[in-house]
Amino acid sequence: MHQLTQQLKTSTAALKRRWATPPQAAIILGSGLGGLADAMVVEQTIDYAEIPHLPSISVPGHHGKLVCGHIESVPVIAFQGRFHLYEGHTPQQATFSVRLARALGAEALLIFNATGGLNPTYSVGDLMLIEDQINFMFANPLVGINDESLGPRFPDMSRPFDSELNEIAVEVARREKFGLHRGVYTSMLGPTYETRAEYRMLRRLGGDAVGMSTVPEVLVARHARMRVLAVSIITNVGLPDALCETTGHAVLEVAAAATEKLTKIMHGVIAGLAP
Amino acid sequence: MLDLHKKIESATDAIRQRWNDTPQAGLILGTGLGSLAEQIESPVAIDYEDIPHFPSSTATSHRGRLVCGLLNGVPIVAMEGRFHQYEGYSLKEITLPVRVMKALGAELMIVTQATGGMNPLYEAGDLMIVDDHINLMGANPLVGINDDRLGVRFPDMSAPYTPELIQAGLEIARRENFVAHRGVMVAITGPNLETRAEYRFLRMIGADVVGMSTVPEVIVAVHSGLRVFGVAVISDMCLPDALQPADIEEIIATANSAEPKLRSLVLGILTQESTK
Repeated sequence: MHQLTQQLKTSTAALKRRWATPPQAAIILGSGLGGLADAMVVEQTIDYAEIPHLPSISVPGHHGKLVCGHIESVPVIAFQGRFHLYEGHTPQQATFSVRLARALGAEALLIFNATGGLNPTYSVGDLMLIEDQINFMFANPLVGINDESLGPRFPDMSRPFDSELNEIAVEVARREKFGLHRGVYTSMLGPTYETRAEYRMLRRLGGDAVGMSTVPEVLVARHARMRVLAVSIITNVGLPDALCETTGHAVLEVAAAATEKLTKIMHGVIAGLAP
Repeated sequence: MLDLHKKIESATDAIRQRWNDTPQAGLILGTGLGSLAEQIESPVAIDYEDIPHFPSSTATSHRGRLVCGLLNGVPIVAMEGRFHQYEGYSLKEITLPVRVMKALGAELMIVTQATGGMNPLYEAGDLMIVDDHINLMGANPLVGINDDRLGVRFPDMSAPYTPELIQAGLEIARRENFVAHRGVMVAITGPNLETRAEYRFLRMIGADVVGMSTVPEVIVAVHSGLRVFGVAVISDMCLPDALQPADIEEIIATANSAEPKLRSLVLGILTQESTK
């Protein structure tokens, strides 16, 4: 992991030449959610290809741009398009964006993703605030020699998601009169969607939603001592007793429709970060 | 995954030079189940080492050759011996033969394997038609940049085993008067057998049998658009509260003794599919 600090130096130097403001928060926008960046006062847009050491994107619905600007007068960067392990990236490569955000100065990480619902009380289009997570990816981005300058060897995971930021999100949903579940996110490697037997297993293990991302990013953010808030859009409900086919395109459509609600949460939480 | 296409082509070419029929189905014969290949008429057997990019089979009781020919009059290719993750192969290497089956023209994959039974209602020597699976191998053969010529980025897994073939298999067992369960298989890497605590865990998450193969091949078959029929032979019972040390010789012997039933199922499904 010592090589990582060197890479971060090169990448942050390259980024600072394009946008000198240190961001207070970083936002990761998942499948079909790139449109959330429209809610920003954009000052600079940088292609991933122009950022040294950042991998390239291979998935439909993911843009591959870093958008820099302000939300509610708070300087933020938004990763429009994220990296997944199923693309063949190592867990370290897939989370380089989080390291980069931290190195630039971001103290909070906001994650928005598209997930399959496991909890039978959820409906397509609902939002779920991630209260906790189960790592079922058989991989951890912190494996390897630990670089103490980046974080501790054994990061605590008793509360990976920030309770104050969570309360702000819940408050926004209440004020704006839309539902926000609070649940447990389980992550699978993918790229296959889950079988019925796998859905039943994940539900039995305590999962409310399942996806193919987020967990590695949260692990690295907590290692880097960032405050984390994550919200999932339920883009399909995986009920094993009445399972329908899932397609990537249907997922993208539902995600786009939930953008308005997510934008409100994003604004509220970012405003809460202002000093 | 983009170099895969070339590998499939060169493997397919090598097979076509020796056998130029179009198979209707591809068969994968697991531990102790290879003797089904002896039934193949006008067989052309090609050693795996003569097929470019095929790994070599190192597992006990797996022979390591592709037998092409007619089974009940239906053109098929059969893998006598398969590859496992525990042999050190990547899931992409393990599943190359499935890609090759598809490239040769097969529409159906029949996969058999010896498994440990965890559902207490099963008995050693029984067959289980695989209804669904849980992938606990910690890996997926589709990881990497997707080659859209081979299949979609996010394959649906709501019914990886073709439902009408499951029904057909159960029907054959009823007609021929032998036991065929329908259940969930979980795949783990191995090569060690499970601890009692692991058996309890696997049972708790919903699995009826446990094995060290099949799931990667089925994932790739679904990605390739093949119809899939899977049969697990219960070669020993793994009941954690009365667990006996596993005896590999006995496991193979049990798998062998289940062969007549397995043969009825495989031949029945093949005949049905070929007259469709």
